[in-house]
Amino acid sequence: MLDVDGLRKTYNGRGRDVEAVRDLTFRLAEGELSCLVGPSGCGKTTLLKCVSGLMRPTAGAVTIDGRPVTGPPPDMAVVFQEYGRSLFPWLTVRGNVELPLKEKRLPKARRRELVDGALEAVGLAHAGAQHPWELSGGMQQRVAIARAIAYEPRVLLMDEPFAAVDAQTRADLEDLIRGLWQRFSMTVLFVTHDIDEAVYLGQRVIVLSASPTVVQDDVRVDLPEERDQLTTRSAPRFAELRAQVYREIQNAKNGSGGGGEGAAEGGGTAGTDASGTGADASEADEGAGGAGGADGPDRAPTPSGGLR
Amino acid sequence: MSANGNADGSVKATATAGTAARTGAAAAGRVLGLPAVLIALWWWAAASSGSFFLTDPGTIAATFAEVWVSERFFTDVLPSVGLLLTGYALAAVLGIGLGVPLGLSTRLRAAAEPVLEFLRAVPPPVLVPLLMLLVGLDGSMRAAVVVSGCVWPVLLNTVEGVRAVDPVLADTCRVYGVRGRRRLGVLVLRSASPQIAAGLRQALSIAIILMVISEMFASSSGLGYAVVQFQRSFAIPEMWSGIVLLGLLGVVLSAVFARAERHALAWHRGLRAASRGE
Repeated sequence: MLDVDGLRKTYNGRGRDVEAVRDLTFRLAEGELSCLVGPSGCGKTTLLKCVSGLMRPTAGAVTIDGRPVTGPPPDMAVVFQEYGRSLFPWLTVRGNVELPLKEKRLPKARRRELVDGALEAVGLAHAGAQHPWELSGGMQQRVAIARAIAYEPRVLLMDEPFAAVDAQTRADLEDLIRGLWQRFSMTVLFVTHDIDEAVYLGQRVIVLSASPTVVQDDVRVDLPEERDQLTTRSAPRFAELRAQVYREIQNAKNGSGGGGEGAAEGGGTAGTDASGTGADASEADEGAGGAGGADGPDRAPTPSGGLR
Repeated sequence: MSANGNADGSVKATATAGTAARTGAAAAGRVLGLPAVLIALWWWAAASSGSFFLTDPGTIAATFAEVWVSERFFTDVLPSVGLLLTGYALAAVLGIGLGVPLGLSTRLRAAAEPVLEFLRAVPPPVLVPLLMLLVGLDGSMRAAVVVSGCVWPVLLNTVEGVRAVDPVLADTCRVYGVRGRRRLGVLVLRSASPQIAAGLRQALSIAIILMVISEMFASSSGLGYAVVQFQRSFAIPEMWSGIVLLGLLGVVLSAVFARAERHALAWHRGLRAASRGE
């Protein structure tokens, strides 16, 4: 449904070009919840900006149902990391959620229905008349999530949405996202740097390499659909998956040397993951292979400072 | 505030009333104390110096009522205030209207910047003789002088405010397809509004100065003209009362402005308080 094909982004810095994303290819199926993890500074934000149409890639393409993404698509919503800066402080909570619907020219009754529904779904039915800055950080991010849901998107992108909230709020919000995903049947791409979060939330975890970025591994999360902070996180399988993703990220960070091991790990994943479809397994191979190829001796360590 | 309530309540109530009265008196003392001291000093200076030009506050107050609560209110005060507000409003519209496109477009800004810097550096009073020739001696000339001085703080602050629109909010608008006039109203003008208000506040005091100067130079009515006339005819208490009136006008206008700003930028104060609290 959402295809990222050969995506490449090079920033033209002063005098030299910085390659942020080298060659990314992955595919999300309709209704899938995938998490994207990678070492910090690996170009996750660049990738997300390209996928959401906020930034044009240097090469490659992003398509939704075969339609190329050249600007923000009308059926896509984004939740940003900086909740405090993505909400309009001069609008009420309700005004924030309603704004995109006004632009969609929906009739007033329908707008009210959607706003009420979305606020109720994130547990903020009572806070509609307040301003965002009157709420706690976690509640502000709920408002941003409500705005995304009221927009009725087919694709929901989330850019490290819980990075700035405390651990307990974070757990609540993770469960909220799983619930909303099941209820509204959206395709969700969730970018995070938190391995536990990625494994807990996703049906699949795409591991990115260090910059210049390629797909390092593609791990299918074969945990039961009904997840719970207590039982899921203490399940042995959770620990295994977590360890696997962690290892891949370490390989990604170490760059050279990690490539061969990474390829082997990737192959191992595809082999042991019997529940995955053939297409997924081959994709995982392809991704890991790509990582191996990228980790050649010619690979210069690229400073990650100027990437964001 | 009645103190004869229930037995246990009354003591507390009296205490509260007493505290309230004390804090009220303290607040009034803080606000009025310094002016009272200054007026007393002035009175003493006027009485002891015996100078013809230093009128004591009592005489000024009496003259004030006599001079300004009269025909003059309609022939001098109202036209001056009208002129001031017209010039100020025109400058606000012009400053915001030009500032928004300049703030949005880097290319436009680069092209306009040297000219703007030059025009801003020209002191507005120097335009009075020029505008007298170009526009004539009537009210529109004086309004033009007010506009020529007031427009810069509004314009430059609007440009800065528009440039400083939060990129995350701008991305949010793009993602949710908010564009065109709604984007201008909901994103650009609202996020620039604290800076625009700062520009408008600066422009207000400039407007009063330029109103007086233009009337002193080239007018046959108005507050500035009246003060100069009184001075030339040695009507010293009248001249003092004109100065006091101009001061009061400034205080009233800035109070009205502060009230409007408080209302329009309530979100801004709330946001700042919230981010300081964290």
